[in-house]
Amino acid sequence: MATPKELSDFLIAIERRAFKQTAYAVRDDHAALDIVQDAMMKLAEKYGDRPATEFPMLFQRILQNTMRDFWRRQKVRNLWTTLFSSFGSNDADSEERDPLETIDVEDDSDEPSAQLARSQTIQLIERALEKLPARQREAFVLRYWEEMDVAETAEIMGCSDGSVKTHCSRAVHALALELKKQGLDKLGLSNAVFDKK
Amino acid sequence: MNMHKDNMTNTKNINLIDDNVISDPVMEEQIARGISDLLNNRAQHLKPEQEQHLSAARNAAVNYLAEQQAQYSTGAGHGYVLRWFGHHVGQNFEQHRVASTGLLLVVMLLTFFAVQHFGFNNNLENSDAYLLASDLPPEAYADKGFDAWIESN
Repeated sequence: MATPKELSDFLIAIERRAFKQTAYAVRDDHAALDIVQDAMMKLAEKYGDRPATEFPMLFQRILQNTMRDFWRRQKVRNLWTTLFSSFGSNDADSEERDPLETIDVEDDSDEPSAQLARSQTIQLIERALEKLPARQREAFVLRYWEEMDVAETAEIMGCSDGSVKTHCSRAVHALALELKKQGLDKLGLSNAVFDKK
Repeated sequence: MNMHKDNMTNTKNINLIDDNVISDPVMEEQIARGISDLLNNRAQHLKPEQEQHLSAARNAAVNYLAEQQAQYSTGAGHGYVLRWFGHHVGQNFEQHRVASTGLLLVVMLLTFFAVQHFGFNNNLENSDAYLLASDLPPEAYADKGFDAWIESN
């Protein structure tokens, strides 16, 4: 049985990553915080008696399921919104709005040139990650960001090892091509940018 | 220093993105690792309010677990009697209150019907024994004219 300290250490280690992963998936920081909070509480409630070594797998599974619940609720909400909006005004401008335009751009003004260049790179990656299909993003995040092996990723995603490899490969290809399309290799990002980290 | 070297390597890998290069599984893995490192770096710099929210959520979860374990160790939690059969038995019943209440009701009803059933059989046996051991023959109780004959005499 895990101790509260073990749970606390585990959550400290993963909470930031979990939040960012969720934010990329749901594209809403407030919703992402709520989802991570729910996942943390579910882990303590349902699996507090499990050993701490099982926490990474369990937490990821809970997090993915909580995200799916969120999307289901969003789907129902969107259905009602669409239904009601069809009775409202037909504003053409609102339909053409690109959700990516509303994403906050963080102000890293303390080290202007280096911070700006790195921030631009990461923003490109984040946007590319957000554009990925959900399953590909899930596979990429679990396999490479959470550093799980193929079998663990497959178990969490509920699919075969082969599917995980396919999703991962497609995700990396899509990310790489998207970054290339955005001119990442022409941005003039030198190693010095990362030296100042 | 190693981390710095890794970052430099990853940056080079990302900057070398090319269709032919991506088809190489090793390079594919390195590109993925490079992207993950950058994302990791990004994840370490959250807004203060986001940090606070996460910290509050973590504390709530940890406090909940601490309370649960304290209750379990003192035996003050619900389902304590059932935990005599083992920790998981008590915990399962606690987690499925509605199901365990329903199960208890079903057991009570079954017991009630069983008692009724076997009790009725006992009554039949007793009445049979009474008839057989009586001074009058059993036909006397089945004969509808017997009472009338007794009264007329």
